[in-house]
Amino acid sequence: MKIFKTNIWLLSILLVLFTQLPIHSLTIDVRSFDHQGFTRVVLEGDASFKYDFQELGKSLKIKIDDRVNPTDSLKNLEASHLIESVSQSTRKGKSEFDIRFKSSYSVQRHFVLERPYRLVFDVAEGGGPSRGNQVEVVEESPQVPEEEEPPQRQRESRNKKVVIETICIDPGHGGNDLGALGSTQVSEKDITLAVGKKLRRMIESKLGLRVIMTREEDLEVSLDSRVALANNQKAQLFVSIHVNGSFRKSARGPETFFVSLQATDPESMALAQKENEALGDIGEIAENDDLKLILWNMAQTEYIKESSKLAEFIQNELNVLLNTINRGVKQAPFRVLMRASMPAVLIEVAFLSNPREEKKLTDDAFLDKVANSIYNGIAKFIYYQNNLFN
Amino acid sequence: MNKKIIYSLVGLALIFFITSLLIFLKSNSELPDGDETLRPPAQTGEEILQPDPITLKLFFYTRGSRYMKPVTHELVPPTIRAELYRLLIDLLLAGRENYITPVPKGVGLRTLYFVEKSGLLVLDFSEELVHTFPAGTSSELEFIYFMVNNLCYNFKEIKKVKFLVAGNSMKILTGHINMEHPFYPDFRYILDK
Repeated sequence: MKIFKTNIWLLSILLVLFTQLPIHSLTIDVRSFDHQGFTRVVLEGDASFKYDFQELGKSLKIKIDDRVNPTDSLKNLEASHLIESVSQSTRKGKSEFDIRFKSSYSVQRHFVLERPYRLVFDVAEGGGPSRGNQVEVVEESPQVPEEEEPPQRQRESRNKKVVIETICIDPGHGGNDLGALGSTQVSEKDITLAVGKKLRRMIESKLGLRVIMTREEDLEVSLDSRVALANNQKAQLFVSIHVNGSFRKSARGPETFFVSLQATDPESMALAQKENEALGDIGEIAENDDLKLILWNMAQTEYIKESSKLAEFIQNELNVLLNTINRGVKQAPFRVLMRASMPAVLIEVAFLSNPREEKKLTDDAFLDKVANSIYNGIAKFIYYQNNLFN
Repeated sequence: MNKKIIYSLVGLALIFFITSLLIFLKSNSELPDGDETLRPPAQTGEEILQPDPITLKLFFYTRGSRYMKPVTHELVPPTIRAELYRLLIDLLLAGRENYITPVPKGVGLRTLYFVEKSGLLVLDFSEELVHTFPAGTSSELEFIYFMVNNLCYNFKEIKKVKFLVAGNSMKILTGHINMEHPFYPDFRYILDK
């Protein structure tokens, strides 16, 4: 009886050990896209994997320490202007991807993203100095400043590089909160959700980044809950999408806002300066200490510079799309932005109160273009941010 | 022996209670600036003014521009300063022909308070403001700076303006701008010519 009991225990331990053996084979989807100045190659695994890579002439060999199932996704890679062919082989239980480029290339950077596990290479044309072997320390999440942390320490912690891996898209309004209404009763909440979903698809498929949405259906979500979701999910960008309304029917064009003390629109700055000079001391009110105190207490204060840059990139793209005179990047105390612990912008796509723009906003093809413009702005910001630290 | 200890403890408790009460009363009499709207204003703007005619410069939106443009208005001021502020707001709410007034029709001013020490003017509007306000970031900003710029431009003692609706503070108007804090003038919205 005693021997039987001992055997049962041994058998159980062996079973547990057996389940821990690496007997699975890995599936890796490979995709790439071209962007201004570089091509990004993403290897997304259904589980994490160990890897090594070598740059050999016009070839990039990525060795995986596991057997990888054959994948059809390699065909899509060849659509890139830089990539000539891609092949996959397996030998002695280990697989290798061989990416051949049309001309000489250099790996500008490579890093790993989690949830899902992705190995990312940014490859540039030309044989410039490769930084590919300088393995970056990728932070899984940004340094979110604690409330009690002294401001100086917050600034120091933010000098570290933050790799953008999660973006929060916030389609404005929803549920009983209709937002702006057009003359045909088209509502802001429906347009923002449509644009938000399109933008999500673009970011996920082209940039391979994780996207969280503050709402995915017609639901009323409080402003504080929206930004709390972004903070809790440790998003590195917050993009709130809105449609504008004005008492002036002629008001038109896109506007991108961020929270700041200073305006970045030169026209507005020049005008403000002129008015302030004319008004004497009254114009100095903006320097008031308690206004600075309010701004200092905002989580967003730490990210104003990045938010301004993100707003600028998006606004430029929307100006081209809507063929508008630059209405400029603007500042205002938006409740949804003030508590965001990440670069955050609010985009007013166009005016529902303007009959011409209302008509455009009811056209799904136009909304595709809007989403694409916002996507381009975000992608440019990410590229700018990466180069800033390289 | 026991009685002595009890008396000592009661005595200590009494001293502690009195000290706490004094600290509590003192702290209540020194509210921070952020809470100044919660206490009776130190200065309600009830001093008597000289009845000389004055010229106000009112700024209204026009159809073709995103800037407010000036319109002059002469009047004999009322004898109470707070009434002068109210008069200006009534002129703004009434609007001008060929100009745009960024306030929904039917909205009225219930009351106003002025705190001279900090230059804060508190405007308490009727409920119609939130019920009939057309949603949109621009419309919110147009309303806010229509009020704040006009008041601060014409009366230098007013440094900032806080909005209430039906006597209550509000977080937002139609889902965009944070309305909890007072607003300072932003003269980028006006063209003084």
